[in-house]
Amino acid sequence: MPDLEGNMHILRLIPYFIKVSFQEEAAYRANFFISLFTSVLNLATGVLGIMILFGQIDSIHGWNEASTMALLGIYLMVTALRGLFIGPGLDALAGMDGEIWAGKFDFVLLRPLNTQALVSLRKWRLFSLFDLLLGLGVFILALAKMQTVLSAWQIFSFVIALFSGLVILYAILLIFSALVFWSPGVLFTWVFDGLFQMARYPMGMYPGWLRLVLTWIIPVGMITTIPAEALTGSLEPVMLVASLLLAAALFAAGTALFQIGLRRYSSASS
Amino acid sequence: MNLRGVKALIRGLWLSWMQYRSFFFVLAFGWMIPPLIYLLVWSTAAGDGSLGGFNRGAFVAYYLVLILVNQITYAQVNWTVGDLIRCGQINHILLRPLAPVYDALASEVAGKTVYLLFDLPILAILALIMKPEVTFTWEKVGLFLLALLLAWMLRFLWGYWIALLAFWSARADALLTLQDSLIFLLAGQVAPVALLPGFLQSAAIVLPFRYMVAFPVEILTGNLGRADIAAGFAIQILWTTLAAVLTVVIWRRGVQRYAGFGG
Amino acid sequence: MNDSHIQVRNLSKTYRVPVRPEGLRASVGSLFHPTYDDIPAVKGISFDVHAGEVVGFIGPNGAGKTTTLKMLSGLIHPTSGELTVLGFEPWKRDAKYLKRISIVMGNKSQMLWDIPPMDSFRVLGEIYNVPAGQFKQTLDEIIELLDMQELLTKPVRNLSLGERMKCELAASLLYRPAVLFLDEPTLGLDVSMQLRLRKFLADYNRRSGVTVILTSHYMADVTALCPRVILIHNGSLMFDGELSSLARDLAPYKLLRLTLLEVTSMESLKLPEGAEITEREGLGLSIRVPRADAPDITANLLQTLPVSDLTVEDPPIEAVIDRVYTGGSL
Repeated sequence: MPDLEGNMHILRLIPYFIKVSFQEEAAYRANFFISLFTSVLNLATGVLGIMILFGQIDSIHGWNEASTMALLGIYLMVTALRGLFIGPGLDALAGMDGEIWAGKFDFVLLRPLNTQALVSLRKWRLFSLFDLLLGLGVFILALAKMQTVLSAWQIFSFVIALFSGLVILYAILLIFSALVFWSPGVLFTWVFDGLFQMARYPMGMYPGWLRLVLTWIIPVGMITTIPAEALTGSLEPVMLVASLLLAAALFAAGTALFQIGLRRYSSASS
Repeated sequence: MNLRGVKALIRGLWLSWMQYRSFFFVLAFGWMIPPLIYLLVWSTAAGDGSLGGFNRGAFVAYYLVLILVNQITYAQVNWTVGDLIRCGQINHILLRPLAPVYDALASEVAGKTVYLLFDLPILAILALIMKPEVTFTWEKVGLFLLALLLAWMLRFLWGYWIALLAFWSARADALLTLQDSLIFLLAGQVAPVALLPGFLQSAAIVLPFRYMVAFPVEILTGNLGRADIAAGFAIQILWTTLAAVLTVVIWRRGVQRYAGFGG
Repeated sequence: MNDSHIQVRNLSKTYRVPVRPEGLRASVGSLFHPTYDDIPAVKGISFDVHAGEVVGFIGPNGAGKTTTLKMLSGLIHPTSGELTVLGFEPWKRDAKYLKRISIVMGNKSQMLWDIPPMDSFRVLGEIYNVPAGQFKQTLDEIIELLDMQELLTKPVRNLSLGERMKCELAASLLYRPAVLFLDEPTLGLDVSMQLRLRKFLADYNRRSGVTVILTSHYMADVTALCPRVILIHNGSLMFDGELSSLARDLAPYKLLRLTLLEVTSMESLKLPEGAEITEREGLGLSIRVPRADAPDITANLLQTLPVSDLTVEDPPIEAVIDRVYTGGSL
């Protein structure tokens, strides 16, 4: 059961988790350069992809090169945050060498902390801060290219939309991770990462049926498109409210599914 | 050539791959997404008109075939060769009465069937929803199959010699990542080569990457002229030969070096 | 208020295992109408453990030892029965409960692989909210007892199996739990490391009064550490008591060891039903006899054979347990 005191305690633990994660990362220094290289390539392919597309056409359903680039910046920043914390802790659960399959999850379960909070916050990958910077760079350059003066409402709605996008991201990741309690060998978070790539481009660029699926059913579109629309001024206020409500609902659903998964683990594991 | 040995190897690998099929289905899903995104984006961009000679249906046909070709030619084995060398497991393989490249080839063939089990139904459903527009002629199909076979050999061998650099450096994998990015940009994934801006298009035509994926797709779904097709095959064969030579040379040097170290 | 740390009444655990039928049609059918087998792992066991006791859980593979341990620690939910540890119901995993128990598993590690143990210890100290002064005091004590000063700064992946187990034990005791569950802690360790860990556990139990439940496949662990053993077989409790009386209670036979004065033919010796010669070498002779018949047979032997020496023994503990494990009955 979540209790306030326990949750405050885990927040105080975060600096320790970060320190230990950093030490673990530093043990593999060779990986640092490979990560650096991969990040830059990822950035380059993303940017070139948009430039090639808009080399052929000026705008698609109201999205031009600058606003699509701003959305890419948001996508890169959100992906970086997912890689910074939350993601590493949840990724470690699944797969053939994952904690549930190998039984190491037992130790996580026996810590005197809220299991969901512990699983989400325990592992950090500080290298993602570099990715975050790259994303921020793309975002700022794209904003400059858009040449619009942002109104207070645009900035406010952007911040709110980004916040609710991050909550949605966490909730969907949690839902995919909780499925691990039913099939510990399947890398569900990888499936999510595949789907999440769809959020590189505005939902407006997808066919209608897919737009609906990616906005309401597996709402990866909400995570990047709504904040980007807030910036371009094309966001309807009702969508901002809808995205907040969806974030709250998904957060509740994710937490519930994770708890059901834990209960299943406790009754069925052998 | 030890045909019975190869058959037994494929069978054994296939059985163990099916055991872990969920893992491979997840991988196949991940590989399918980037071309799928560009299929959707380009077909929306085309709308009712056309871009660079492609209308909506042509984009759909192009990308559906590309997803298939990308999967068939993707040599995932190249990622494990480096691990085998680093962990010393290559010792076992060197001791078998079978040339080591067969080991990689066997897991290629075994893997492909597992991936296709996943890909084909999805492609069929996408074809039903998205309505590709394409006309096949037997001539096109024949040339496509030939180009596909060469593309697979080229992509496999090209990745294999890069992976073999693991004999010298633990970071050879970074070059495989670079290869994947270049294939994404220059082998017709981010856009058909015909739609690339001038300098990228020239690079795509000269470098080997287009001939690993895009070339067979263009033969089947595009309207390449006879001269283009002939030139394409010439370049493809040239690069494949070079990759084969590099593989043999690097393998020999690498094993010598490895034996020198004493494993 | 009694000092019972663990109370177990009629505790049962049944796993539901999906049945995967052979053949394509049947397996498609099972997708829609899955059938399950109920596998009883623990069948209605009861016992109490008092504060400071060291109890050995023994039984063959699959007997239900680990399942019981997992229910006691709170990892799995019992199917039926009552269970309290330190006054808590373990499966609720109340933080107050979890701070007072600890588990060490011989085949799973809670240490972080790539960093020195000391850094893992600090994080654990924070997770369990151990005050700084107490943390240092406890750690110093454990480090001294385990003689592991030089291990603290090396990455765990560079440590030997035995050194890693020292770290596991230290990690599990940092917050001074009242109950310690040990599941096969000496698995794979060499003999001298086994001896050191046993000595440590005995010392630590004496100093701190921690209650210990231990499972092990090495009888030597149990004989060295546990005055009391609980034998589980096929999910049922077969014996609960002092180790020394296990043989008496469970083995329905005794061993007569004789030394003869001269080489004698056994032709004339008439052994009653159920008794047999198990060993014969030179003048030495061992005879296994039903427990009830032991006095009569002894008298008979003394009359018919030229006996220089005769002892009546319970069979060795390993032999008794081996018979339980392999035969299932005695």
